Amino acid sequence: MKFLENIGAGVLQSVERLGRAAFFLSEVVGHGWVLVTRFWLVVQQLYSVGVFTLPIVLVSGLFVGMVLGLQLYNTLVKFGAAESLGLVLALSLLRELGPVVTALLFAGRAGSALTAEIGLMKATEQLAGMEMMAVNPVMRVIAPRFLAGVIAMPLLAALFSAIGIFGGQMIGVGLLGVDSGAFWSQMQNGVDFHEDIMNGVIKSVVFGVVVTGIAVFEGYDAVPNSEGVARATNHTVVYSSLAVLGLDFIMTSLMLGEI
Amino acid sequence: MSVLQNAAPMNRNNNGNLVDIRDVSFKYSTRTILDNLTLSIPRGKVTAIMGGSGCGKTSLLNLIGGRLRPSQGQVLVDGLNVPDLNIKELYELRKRMGMLFQHGALLTDLSVFENVAFPIREHTRLPEAVLRNVVLMKLQTVGLRGARDLMPWELSGGMARRVALARAIVLEPMMIMYDEPFTGLDPISMGVIAKLIRELNQVLGITSIVVSHDVAEASLISDYAYLLGDGRILGQGTPTELQQSTSPHVRQFMDGLPDGPVPYTYPARNYLDDLLEKGA
Repeated sequence: MKFLENIGAGVLQSVERLGRAAFFLSEVVGHGWVLVTRFWLVVQQLYSVGVFTLPIVLVSGLFVGMVLGLQLYNTLVKFGAAESLGLVLALSLLRELGPVVTALLFAGRAGSALTAEIGLMKATEQLAGMEMMAVNPVMRVIAPRFLAGVIAMPLLAALFSAIGIFGGQMIGVGLLGVDSGAFWSQMQNGVDFHEDIMNGVIKSVVFGVVVTGIAVFEGYDAVPNSEGVARATNHTVVYSSLAVLGLDFIMTSLMLGEI
Repeated sequence: MSVLQNAAPMNRNNNGNLVDIRDVSFKYSTRTILDNLTLSIPRGKVTAIMGGSGCGKTSLLNLIGGRLRPSQGQVLVDGLNVPDLNIKELYELRKRMGMLFQHGALLTDLSVFENVAFPIREHTRLPEAVLRNVVLMKLQTVGLRGARDLMPWELSGGMARRVALARAIVLEPMMIMYDEPFTGLDPISMGVIAKLIRELNQVLGITSIVVSHDVAEASLISDYAYLLGDGRILGQGTPTELQQSTSPHVRQFMDGLPDGPVPYTYPARNYLDDLLEKGA
């Protein structure tokens, strides 16, 4: 009986938290006008969220592209289709790996930092202080960070894909001897702007909303002590990663018309 | 007036009181923090709210500031019932309040100057030159004009609280609430904060509510004091009157006695029974 009670209490708590998150995020989105009225705050956060995440995204993108180049070449060459390396590489990165891996890296680097920062601001009464100064912390602190995350994610994903293609080209063309003309021309002919590039952009925007939304909510809702902030940071990475992978499957199915 | 337990507030006249707490109860989940509390904060005076840890002092400040809602009763600030205000009205009222948090609550990504300038930048469109002068004047008031370029992590606890005080008065509020302003400070910093609270009250006429469990310092600067415990008023009066009180609650708190109406031991079952059960 106690076991059932605990399950019921857990479900109720989760539903309540989801409701709180929905209200919170609707308030954050309602303050979207800070993009105009507090443009410089958004730019500052864009620097903090985007530029600081750039090194890990670029380095990861380069290595992922290089590994893809090796793996794909070894498979394609068996079918005499090594010239298709550029096309397959670009499609893999633009459709899937660019948005997904960038979102996972973004959750680990920027998402956790956002949660920790906001959680610590709460623990040190900075958010309460703002409220008492008649400044809405959702407008002043949360909304600029949320917008910055949503803007930064697609840009980082684009850079990840670009450097990944460069890495794949280095291995495929530079090391394994794939024809450079075939590599680029097949990519140019095979990649569709709407079907491939825009779908990737849509995915990365959705991931940006989800990861940044989870990060700012977890920070704002954190228990205001060191353990609470640590737990919230952990939640951000775990929930964001799971949400990204789950949503990727759903969006891919919808985009391919399989559902 | 002698110290009275649960006595009527000293002044029911709204014109004389900036804050009137009327029959306020407040609960955290099922735990009662404040129970049918009634008290008044007179205009232009320093009023101390004293009491042990967890007695609801900070909750009372949060009720006055509208960060918490009472489960019943009225919280009147300058004639406005705070729980009835919408968010816009509440923010307008807060512009006329200042609050000094226990650890200052300075914004860690802003310098001392920018922390003090923060409320001005948020709520006014003062030209930069005027803003600069206002900020420097407030920093001069707390003796930290020379620290304007420091970051919050470069300040001592006392300095951080002085900067927070400069920020709290920068919009020239009608009232400042001090939440444990003396906690964790060395004697010199404590004296500085006490002096500033008294001076701001005397020079600017700001109504001050000082929440503290530091009997000596709070008694030194306050005109009137309330002693809270168990969610109600255990005693009230001028600091001298409280010092002379014969009430066991007041005596235990004022003299810092380990045992008394507030017991030393947390309620538990019979000691011997407990030990025997564990040994069995």
